[in-house]
Amino acid sequence: MSEKEPSQTPPPVVTRETMARLSATGPRRLTPANCQIFEGTYSLLHCTVMGDQIYRGVFASLAFPVSQPDRFICLRYHGSDGKNKEIGLIEDLNVFDAAAQGLIRESLAKHYYEQRIKRIVKITFKFGLLFFEVETERGREQFTMAWQVDRAQDYGEGGKVLLDTFENRFIIPDVRELPARDRVRLQRFIYW
Amino acid sequence: MIASTEILIGNAPQPVQPYLARLNIQPAEIEFAAEADLNLDGATCSSFLIGTADRLFAITPSAATDEQVIGPIYVKSAERFRTFSAVGSAFFQVKVQGLFLDLVRFSNARREQFDRIATQLENRRKERPFVRGALTEPDSRLCPVCSLPLPGRRAACPRCAQEGGLLARAYGLLKRYRGRLVVLMVMMLTVVGLEFVPPILLGKVLVNQVLVPMQHGGWLIWLVAAIALAQFSGAFLNVLIGRTSTAIGTRVTFDLRRQLQEKLMDISVDFYDRTSVGSLMSRVLWDVEYFHGAVNQIAQGFLVNLLKIIGIGAVLFYLNWRLALLVMIPIPLVVVGTMFFWSYVYPRYFRVWDGQSKLAALLNGLLSGIRLVKAFAQEERERDRFSTMASDLRDSRRGLDMSMATFNPIMGYVFGLGGLIVWYAGGRQVLGETMKLGDLITFLSLIGMFYGPIQQLTMFSNWVTGFLSSCQRVFEILDVEPGIGDAAKPVPLPRMAGGVEFRNVTFGYDPYDPVIKDISFKIEPGQMIGIVGKSGSGKTTLMNLLCRFYDVQQGEIMIDGVDVRKLRRADIRRGVGLVLQEPFLFRSSIAANIAYGRPGAPPTAIMDAAKAAYAHEFIVRLPAAYDTRLGERGAGISGGERQRVSIARALLCDPTILILDEATSSVDTEAEQQIQQALGQLCKGRTTIAIAHRLSTLRGADKILVLDNGAIVEQGSHDELMKIDGGVYAKLVRIQTELTRIEQ
Repeated sequence: MSEKEPSQTPPPVVTRETMARLSATGPRRLTPANCQIFEGTYSLLHCTVMGDQIYRGVFASLAFPVSQPDRFICLRYHGSDGKNKEIGLIEDLNVFDAAAQGLIRESLAKHYYEQRIKRIVKITFKFGLLFFEVETERGREQFTMAWQVDRAQDYGEGGKVLLDTFENRFIIPDVRELPARDRVRLQRFIYW
Repeated sequence: MIASTEILIGNAPQPVQPYLARLNIQPAEIEFAAEADLNLDGATCSSFLIGTADRLFAITPSAATDEQVIGPIYVKSAERFRTFSAVGSAFFQVKVQGLFLDLVRFSNARREQFDRIATQLENRRKERPFVRGALTEPDSRLCPVCSLPLPGRRAACPRCAQEGGLLARAYGLLKRYRGRLVVLMVMMLTVVGLEFVPPILLGKVLVNQVLVPMQHGGWLIWLVAAIALAQFSGAFLNVLIGRTSTAIGTRVTFDLRRQLQEKLMDISVDFYDRTSVGSLMSRVLWDVEYFHGAVNQIAQGFLVNLLKIIGIGAVLFYLNWRLALLVMIPIPLVVVGTMFFWSYVYPRYFRVWDGQSKLAALLNGLLSGIRLVKAFAQEERERDRFSTMASDLRDSRRGLDMSMATFNPIMGYVFGLGGLIVWYAGGRQVLGETMKLGDLITFLSLIGMFYGPIQQLTMFSNWVTGFLSSCQRVFEILDVEPGIGDAAKPVPLPRMAGGVEFRNVTFGYDPYDPVIKDISFKIEPGQMIGIVGKSGSGKTTLMNLLCRFYDVQQGEIMIDGVDVRKLRRADIRRGVGLVLQEPFLFRSSIAANIAYGRPGAPPTAIMDAAKAAYAHEFIVRLPAAYDTRLGERGAGISGGERQRVSIARALLCDPTILILDEATSSVDTEAEQQIQQALGQLCKGRTTIAIAHRLSTLRGADKILVLDNGAIVEQGSHDELMKIDGGVYAKLVRIQTELTRIEQ
């Protein structure tokens, strides 16, 4: 088989008009011009959207946590029915003032709790379980994972997220960047 | 993780006692204390949730002084208690003045404990009994006996369930072929014995006693004949061994596949919600093949190789112990080299297997969705995707094959060194007349037979690793609890009347996040009930519960006054019929698809059912009529026709309770009319529960339930619901009427 050949037809481009049409029905865009972010009652994150209302108890989450971790931030709030609902989308946080950026980043840090694995020290296989000893940003950690395909999922292009028996998340941002011996150790069991 | 996961009852842990003293809370007042393993910022440290009869406190000793204590929160004045899942951790929250406040944060390891607390505090807030015992129930994710984390909630403990480990269990599967395996091994041992004959006869007798002394010329023919007979016997036995091991291996794999398929049919639906079909297929198709390999290993593997090493080694030392010691020189090199090679090359095998399965999955998706690819003109992109994946497979295969191509000649060279050492040292002994030429030839023949099994044995540990991983994947399915099982003494219900009742039913696919909340309603036999609501409101979940694909977490579902958990599943399946939005037809004839629930139904019954389902006319117009073979998922007929075939299938089963889950929502108006007519036939004299987006189809229903966010918000007849001012149903009807008017 030949190596990758150049495309004959250029990929379809989403035109500016199409983008404009889609954005009219897409998530509401939040910018400093239409949205004010501040700390309110009980030190909770609040936001006021121009022409709408004050949303209290707001939290932030990422629309593309793996591929675009610094952009496309959804602001959400807990509705009276207990379900969380979307207020709108911040495409680029940097256009907001430093105080608002700080509050949003604090909220994001609260929303995500993932241990990033830097080294794989040891993996022991017993009883159908993998007993991991790893080095994370927080130091040496141990966790147990069922040796099942759905417990190690793809994370971005070359990464993996390992879910332990309690559903805690251990991220390997890029398996290829692990030290060679650690990679062999991992791929002996997590080869998919 | 730090800290205990146990909830203390009537006691508080030492680190919070000074704070409680400062808050003037007496030890006797404390009802429970639970320890979280994170602070609110996500740092690893202990924080505590302390409850008294009427108040709640969150205490984080390591926090800044003014943030160490949150509370008191008065239980009765709170609006709600809950746990809230973020990504990778969760919060215990209380709702005050319409706002959810975080009290403590914890990793998912603590989720179950805090969820129990939230449930009991909600009970207290709603003035229901606060069950202390519920707080100290064992964690369903840990083995109650040995505390090993379980592979799934309430799954069998792999340590406690494993009697003697995976190999013992694998042997258990092969045990029924024990007799044949013994015969196989006896034949193998005989072959090993026969392999000694030629080198010994050649060297020690033919060379030493005939050719070199030039005497006993008459022995020559008999010696050659004896060698030929030994070789023929070995070859004959090898044929028998090959045929026997193939027969056993294929039987084992066949039996195991059948067991797996039976198990897969028996497992509850939620297992399939969390397990990919591809991974299940690879277990049934490929992992089972390892068991075939296991038979070969028994026939030609570990034991035989070990015996060969011991036997040949003994002969070598018997012939010449000095030379035998020299033979041992390359062994450490071979062992270390092979072990290093396999630890390096084995992961490459996995990568090749993974590449193959990914490529197969890509091709499967591509071919199944070929219309979509063409419709969006994405042929080029799919070609690139396929090419990239095929390149990955090519690279991993190339890496593997190149490793093998490098390793094997090197090992051959090392073995050759062993031979050269023996040629040199043995040659000197022959020249010095301390050894006979025939003995040297025998020696050289035997060392070839000696090194092979050593290399095989060094690879054995890797084979065992692969075999154990396959065993593990196979047993993982065999060990899955059926989940939805029959009661020990099921209540017989040979003929259903069709009464259905939901009593305070609560259910969530994730037990922490209910999608059905405290729902109650009753359907009399023969009634038609409509269920409406937005997507995600819980309509289909209700029907999944009635079919007992899942069990409720709270409350009861009754059929004819009997809890469905006390009924035999077979009785439920026989009495409850299902017509789905996306009719699933199998790759088979139309007749076989109609008769799917009643195999062996006579052709007349099949045609009658099809006629009643308004399917007969289009079927007989097809060239092969009822014998028309359908493609995957019913390809070959239109969506409306597929739906009518599925209605005919339900009609033939003649269920007492009929569930129509959006049965007409995926077809055009004309097809819908025909399907409605078919459904009219189908519903006569049955209890019917219809989920519908097109509300016009429910006008004739005896009662309509309106669901929102997992709860019934309105119920009544069409006319009654239309009279509710600002009602959800009336609003939905108005929107649909308006849409229909615009379409027209």
